[in-house]
Amino acid sequence: MASVSFEHVTKRFGTTSVVEDFDLVVEDGELLVLVGGSGSGKSTILRMLAGLEQPSSGTIRIDGHDVTSQAPRARDVAMVFQDYALYPHMTVRENLSLGLRLRNVDKAEIERRVLWASGILGLATLLDRKPKALSGGQRQRVAMGRAMVREPLVFLFDEPLSNLDAALRAQMRLEIGSLQRRLRTTTVYVTHDQVEAMTLGDRIVVLAGGRIQQVGRPIELYRAPANRFVAGFIGTPAMNFMDGAIAREDGRASFVSHGVSWTIGDSAAVQDGTPVTVGIRPEDIRVGASHHAAPDAVDAKRSEDGGPSIAGRVLLVERLGASSHVHVEAGGHRLMVTVNGDSPPELGADVALRLRHDRVHLFAPDGAALCDTRSGDDSIG
Amino acid sequence: MRRLGRVTLYLLLAIAALTFIYPFLWMTSSTFKPPIEVGTLSLIPEHPTFDNYRTMWARAPFGRALFNSMLVATSITSAVLVLGSMTAYAMARLHFRGRPVLNAATMLVLLVPGQLTLIPLYTFIVQLGWIDTYAALIVPYLFNATAILLLRQFFLQIPQSLIDSARMDGMGELRILFTIVWPLARPALAIVAIFTFMGSWNEVLWPLLVVRDAQLMTLPQLLTVFALGGGAGSVGVSLASAMVLVVPVVIAYMFLQRYFIESMAGAGIKG
Repeated sequence: MASVSFEHVTKRFGTTSVVEDFDLVVEDGELLVLVGGSGSGKSTILRMLAGLEQPSSGTIRIDGHDVTSQAPRARDVAMVFQDYALYPHMTVRENLSLGLRLRNVDKAEIERRVLWASGILGLATLLDRKPKALSGGQRQRVAMGRAMVREPLVFLFDEPLSNLDAALRAQMRLEIGSLQRRLRTTTVYVTHDQVEAMTLGDRIVVLAGGRIQQVGRPIELYRAPANRFVAGFIGTPAMNFMDGAIAREDGRASFVSHGVSWTIGDSAAVQDGTPVTVGIRPEDIRVGASHHAAPDAVDAKRSEDGGPSIAGRVLLVERLGASSHVHVEAGGHRLMVTVNGDSPPELGADVALRLRHDRVHLFAPDGAALCDTRSGDDSIG
Repeated sequence: MRRLGRVTLYLLLAIAALTFIYPFLWMTSSTFKPPIEVGTLSLIPEHPTFDNYRTMWARAPFGRALFNSMLVATSITSAVLVLGSMTAYAMARLHFRGRPVLNAATMLVLLVPGQLTLIPLYTFIVQLGWIDTYAALIVPYLFNATAILLLRQFFLQIPQSLIDSARMDGMGELRILFTIVWPLARPALAIVAIFTFMGSWNEVLWPLLVVRDAQLMTLPQLLTVFALGGGAGSVGVSLASAMVLVVPVVIAYMFLQRYFIESMAGAGIKG
């Protein structure tokens, strides 16, 4: 096991910068997830750590040793690829053992490790089959086994579950998580799926445009996103956003948008008239009976729990069983609310939306989180 | 009515097939006919004989020519497969300065007809003092642009992750080529092998230019000199010597036809 550190790593292809000043330490035994959309640079970072790409500048260290210019085989890292990359002309046993044979590991030791990995992964009866004769999940396990038998310093996973169907993906996600906890091998896991990131990662790195947007434990990213990108990227269904502006009166600041307005307290040190965005997660809005006859009666009232209340009308209800997603037109915004699946409001019903004041996020025009609205009970009122 | 159409179709196809196969069968049977029968169109000799083969073997060093042809064609085919796939792999999978220029240059070589380079190449061989050597027959054919481009195209279809995976498993590029890429590229390698072998086996013009010693002549060259030079003496003997040329190619094709048809049928479709 080992720690991994990236020191100001930058990667350019021609004039295009793919990764910009990436600076991060992965702790020994940690499972770190790199998450981002396509073109965010997450796979490039992984490939640089694997030695398959050379950084344009910066240093990569594994266990304190500078490996920046080392070939992949010299780095003692093992990688699981998105398409598994099993050698089609070799049996499962040969696929598992090839890396060890190339490192001149003793035959008996190879056999021991192959049996150990195949036992853990449930591949013991498939050792003499070729990849063509395996299902997607089995191929995925062979790819993991190939990394395991190497007993490397670091595991790398490059979107390993993208080619599996939903049920198998959930199952393999659990298996990868429990395997990593069992082996405690330092792991860097790349995915575009934020559910995978949230469920697997000890820490998550959110990337966009080759830059780190935020690093933190899953719940930190969820509850205190550093910017609007992270807020919108982490969480399913996505956070609701309302664009508006700050109005200051008597030293107190209010959020004003399409006629909706509510006080956000003194803590937001923003100028009068500054455009801002309010973000709130679908489960942090409660749906209640409307106090108003029409949805365009938009004065935000203060609800029982201290948060603002907005009148709205239900546009769409997506029933998922345990919960329902209710789309509501409110104060010129379309908001999604997650409610209990047993009693969702009717389509077209007039409702009052109550926002949990301690869960409201505020973002500046450049996307940065303006203040921690969770602190202080008077931040929104 | 439908049945009649089908019968007509098969009949037409059978006639077409016959026009291809009949001359070959006639040639084969004529090698076993005495001179008096060679003029007939019959496929079965009335008085079968090996005289034509005996005469041919006695009049010219066909055994030696067969060995020369085998040596030259096998050397060239092996070299084209090994060197060609190494070049193709580099062009498909390695990043180096000048790669686009190399790609363009290889393509350009295809556009130059072989006859155009014949005289400069001949002059070169003379300067090197290689006239009447195996080197003159083999060295100019060690690299083949068509083979390189064909293999490169095939190698590009092999997923990059497979090569990355092999690199991470600890393989060097040459080992990746021969233990991972080669087994996956068997159809492409087979088609390159067949075309290279047949091209080399049938080559007449170049050996005629650079080899004069009968002991170094390849089979088609000796056949040309023998038949055109009047050495054969009769049509039967000429045909018998042509048979010696054809049989090895037919045998090679029988071994490789599975790959040959596979690669023809599967061209452009990822396996």
